[in-house]
Amino acid sequence: MLQYTLRRILVAVPSVLGVMIIVFAMVRLAPGDPAQNLAGEFADAETIELIRERFGLNEPTHVQFYRFVTGVLQGDLGTSTRTYRPVTTDLATFFPNTLELALGAITIALLFGIPSGILAALRPNSAFDLSVMIGALIGVSMPVFWFGLLAILIFSVQLGWFPVAGRGTLMHLVLPAITLGLSSMAIIARMTRSSMLEVLNQDFIRTARAKGLFDRGVVMKHALRNALVPVVTVIGLQFGALLAGAVITETVFSWPGIGRLLVDSIRARDYPVVQGAVLLIAVSFIVVNLVVDLVYGFIDPRIRYD
Amino acid sequence: MRNPVAIFGMVVIGFFLVIVVLAPFIAPYSPTEQNLRATYVPPGVGVALGGPEGQLGIWVHPVTRSPTAGLRVDDSVAYPVRLFVRGSEWTWFFGLVKSDLRLFGVDGPVRFYLLGTDEQGRDLLSRLVHGAWISLFIGLISIAIGIGVGVPAGAISGFLGGSTDMIVQRVIDTLLAFPGILLAIVLVATFGTGLTNVMIAVGVASVPIYARLVRGSVLQVKNREYVEAAAALGRNRLSTLARHVIPNVMAPIIVQSSLQMATAILFAAGLGFLGLGARPPQPEWGLMLARGREYLAVAPHVATFPGIAIVMVVLGFNLLGDALRDALDPRM
Repeated sequence: MLQYTLRRILVAVPSVLGVMIIVFAMVRLAPGDPAQNLAGEFADAETIELIRERFGLNEPTHVQFYRFVTGVLQGDLGTSTRTYRPVTTDLATFFPNTLELALGAITIALLFGIPSGILAALRPNSAFDLSVMIGALIGVSMPVFWFGLLAILIFSVQLGWFPVAGRGTLMHLVLPAITLGLSSMAIIARMTRSSMLEVLNQDFIRTARAKGLFDRGVVMKHALRNALVPVVTVIGLQFGALLAGAVITETVFSWPGIGRLLVDSIRARDYPVVQGAVLLIAVSFIVVNLVVDLVYGFIDPRIRYD
Repeated sequence: MRNPVAIFGMVVIGFFLVIVVLAPFIAPYSPTEQNLRATYVPPGVGVALGGPEGQLGIWVHPVTRSPTAGLRVDDSVAYPVRLFVRGSEWTWFFGLVKSDLRLFGVDGPVRFYLLGTDEQGRDLLSRLVHGAWISLFIGLISIAIGIGVGVPAGAISGFLGGSTDMIVQRVIDTLLAFPGILLAIVLVATFGTGLTNVMIAVGVASVPIYARLVRGSVLQVKNREYVEAAAALGRNRLSTLARHVIPNVMAPIIVQSSLQMATAILFAAGLGFLGLGARPPQPEWGLMLARGREYLAVAPHVATFPGIAIVMVVLGFNLLGDALRDALDPRM
């Protein structure tokens, strides 16, 4: 297990490095002068020169990249060109809110996705199965922002059950979490169903049935454990998708998270914050997938020897 | 392909394609023509089933919005809606087709807003219909970029193996570290907003998905006897790859392309919604939805119809993709 853990961590390192290269390149590939981009639209010539000097933008690229990486490793992501706050402060303020939203979304997705997938698999081609599958297809086809707007229109504006926007109480979390979790719910339901169907057709289930175990015992004890193994991977991937999907959901619900920070910063061409937010989301995704890989190796030891 | 769900998907896509091809004929008005005296007209206002003297058909009363008194319907006059009317002239296919024939319109000096109007008094139906090609183009260009770059990269990576595979895989891993729409957002943030950049960004975001898919399929196929036979006959490796391996991994590529259409349309609409995509007054569906959001409480129809359009088209391609997968890949 230790060897497997180390190997997985080593595989993640080039990805993190690659992400840093892309984030580093963002400012330099953007049209216009990088110093101007970093300084902001209305900076005067003196400030631009200062920025150029401070960020070492007139030095060779590899030196710049080395500085960027050491800066990131020391927790220095630069300063916002809008608020003049350190980027890390902004990220530390907004990221927990995004995590809260993503955790709410994944909870809802699991709470509804897994049971409906299991029930659909137990009665394949029944009316229930069909409606779960059609519902799941509509779920993945629905634009997040449209579902969010409809939810606000119906449940906040018309019925007044939930607040329209913002973050605060648990009531504030309900609509954004459902909106963000919808497509994950659909994907998890589909995955659970197909994985469950596959397991239910295998020999050991037939043996369990032949032994005279009653149906629910078979399902709970033997099938479910095996069926949920691939679902774990999907949950990991979905968690990453949720972090990215939060960009849109947070805009719809005016949720003060990192996604909205990212969009606002892109519009304001506040590059240091854009870089920091992108880096944070991508690295979180890599870490989540690493953890999922490790969990996977733990629950299914065959994986470790792959 | 006798699956009713798949047929529904294909009907939706067919309908969508007909709208793209015949857009200016189906749309009663220009997508950008404003009428500031008729803003936020909800669908159905001023429309009557039956004429003033009991005639059959749809009749339209003049509708105006006054700044103080709100919407006013002038009941004293009514004009009939007719099929195949002559309206303002339009050109299509880059000026190749010219006509003034419209599928339907009002016989008289008023307008018939089937789906209502937006905040500038533009006809929502006309905007939706004229926006259809944008979604189709985004999907097609995204697939073209994904296949053009991702398929060769994945195929070469899987077929050659070794250090080539290592390097390509690390690049793909890096791109896949940007989940979902984030890679497209990163590209748009770098190279600027606008429709062209969105198409490229969504396309590039699909490259790692194709590359990984093709690599997996190539790995499955590359040790089959017919590939060995081609090598034994002295074919060089690239030509073996092109003539014997790629054709055998087409099925997953086709399935992925249908699903990719759906994803690309959703991503582009999402970018439009965030204000990072198409720019006003382009009738892009995501952008229309974003505008509608600002008037959600007063005019919910402005945000509702573009949403329905997106859901239908995306659902159509998802259904088709699913059905293709069932048909081409019985293992799933």
